[in-house]
Amino acid sequence: MTEQAQGAAALSAVIADAASEIALALRGEGDPYALSRILRQDDGLSPAAVRVLGADALAPYALDGHPGADGAGGADAAIVHSALTAFPPTGETSAVSVWSYRGLVEASRAFLAGHATSLPEPPEPEADWLASDPWPRLSHRVSQLASLALPGLALGLTDRLTERTEDLARGFVRAVRRRDWLQSAGLGRWLARMPRTPATLGLDDGLRFVRQMSDDPRVAVHVTAAQIFFGRAR
Amino acid sequence: MTMLTTAPPALLHAVGDRALTWLDAHRDYFRLTEADLARGDALVERLKPIGELAINMRMLFREGVAGSRQGARAGALLDFAWRELLDGGNVLAAHQHNEPFSPVSLEIYAVFHELGYRHPGLEAALDIPRRTATWRALEMPPSRRLGVLNAERRMGLTPSGDFAEATAATWLGRRPEPWTVHLHIAYDITHTVFHLTNWGEDPGRLPPPLADYLELYLPAWAADWAELQHWDLLGELLIVDACLPRPALDGQLWEQYATAQSGTGAMPVCGAMPEGDPSDVFDIVHHPTLVAAFASAMATSRSLSAGGA
Repeated sequence: MTEQAQGAAALSAVIADAASEIALALRGEGDPYALSRILRQDDGLSPAAVRVLGADALAPYALDGHPGADGAGGADAAIVHSALTAFPPTGETSAVSVWSYRGLVEASRAFLAGHATSLPEPPEPEADWLASDPWPRLSHRVSQLASLALPGLALGLTDRLTERTEDLARGFVRAVRRRDWLQSAGLGRWLARMPRTPATLGLDDGLRFVRQMSDDPRVAVHVTAAQIFFGRAR
Repeated sequence: MTMLTTAPPALLHAVGDRALTWLDAHRDYFRLTEADLARGDALVERLKPIGELAINMRMLFREGVAGSRQGARAGALLDFAWRELLDGGNVLAAHQHNEPFSPVSLEIYAVFHELGYRHPGLEAALDIPRRTATWRALEMPPSRRLGVLNAERRMGLTPSGDFAEATAATWLGRRPEPWTVHLHIAYDITHTVFHLTNWGEDPGRLPPPLADYLELYLPAWAADWAELQHWDLLGELLIVDACLPRPALDGQLWEQYATAQSGTGAMPVCGAMPEGDPSDVFDIVHHPTLVAAFASAMATSRSLSAGGA
């Protein structure tokens, strides 16, 4: 294995472990959640892991209130801050990545209020593709933004995507057919949030099916988020 | 909202033109051998392609999109199928005599009947079996039950069952979770649509909830089977698209489909064209090639009509 591949495998493992903890916390199981307990600030991989998990790194706080009493809030904010400063969007950054960055900033403001100070101002993400992408490409990109499907977050994006509900339903069908469980779960999570998701899609059993077929902890996070926050597939 | 690019009529038309050329050049392979005629079970398998050929040629006439050369070719193929392959209907009558309670002869005869070909002996022989309770009780897949009802309707007979009930019994009629569709379900869907609309003749007979359901999810299935290069099923799904109130006639899918067609006009089932003995190759590719002719004519017609996208 090359050094680069080893690094990628190590990062994937850190992300998977963190996602397992997040899914557990969303189900109300395990110890009280604190980002700074599942990712160590002195671990060089932590900033990248937070950047990949995006707003989901703070998702459990959307469930049962914000951290603070035990001091986790300050440590959590420090980890998020290092992720935001280590991987700032540049002119080269893809639109999806800028949206995800923005989601992490929004989540910090919402869930680490009082702790997260001096957050960077996120650039305005490119948004034309939300209306112009054909449904397969739209579905692929939107599934990568599933962490933004959290209560109170990305409301403008949600409105834009609601206009494409049918296209995302097509994407969900195709993703399940292709056994792309991560894309299925990401799209299913958005569709759980949408007010006009077609009843014929059978989203609830679809999400349960995806959860059963995949052992990817990130899939578990998406399906659990759809259950806990949007009341689907319970 | 994003609009997909619609396939140009010339592209749609060319696929069918090439497919018909191949079918015409290979028509002798449809012939029944003495061995086929001697064995009932083998006969049914060999009759199926002839029925499919007839349905396709009738549809070419009906849609009126074939040029005069194509039209003449389709007419000659139909005559050939009736007179030479079916011996003026005698083959069907003999099968009816051997298997009086099988709907196969009726299913194949109905399309010739619509075209004006007649075999009074066969029609008389169908009368009593159709009166029996067994005829209505025959076990078969629900989409085929619709096919039998449609065959009766096409012949001007009182259908032996209720269309709405038969439709409700199909997979499509229940509109289940679209993400569960696999290969066999997909063919059940396409056949339900073919029988309900009489092979695309009357898209209006597709109940609106079913049309809405298909309009919503068909693009997802078609994209997936295009990626899997399953041209036979993709062709059938493209026909279903052309049967919808607002067909998509997706330019990218049609491009892929047209590219899969071999230089001779044959359409492979899946992936690339098979190689080997011409008769074996015919057995494999005649169905997807018939489908290609059908899909092309339906799509061309819809693209030229006001209802086309």
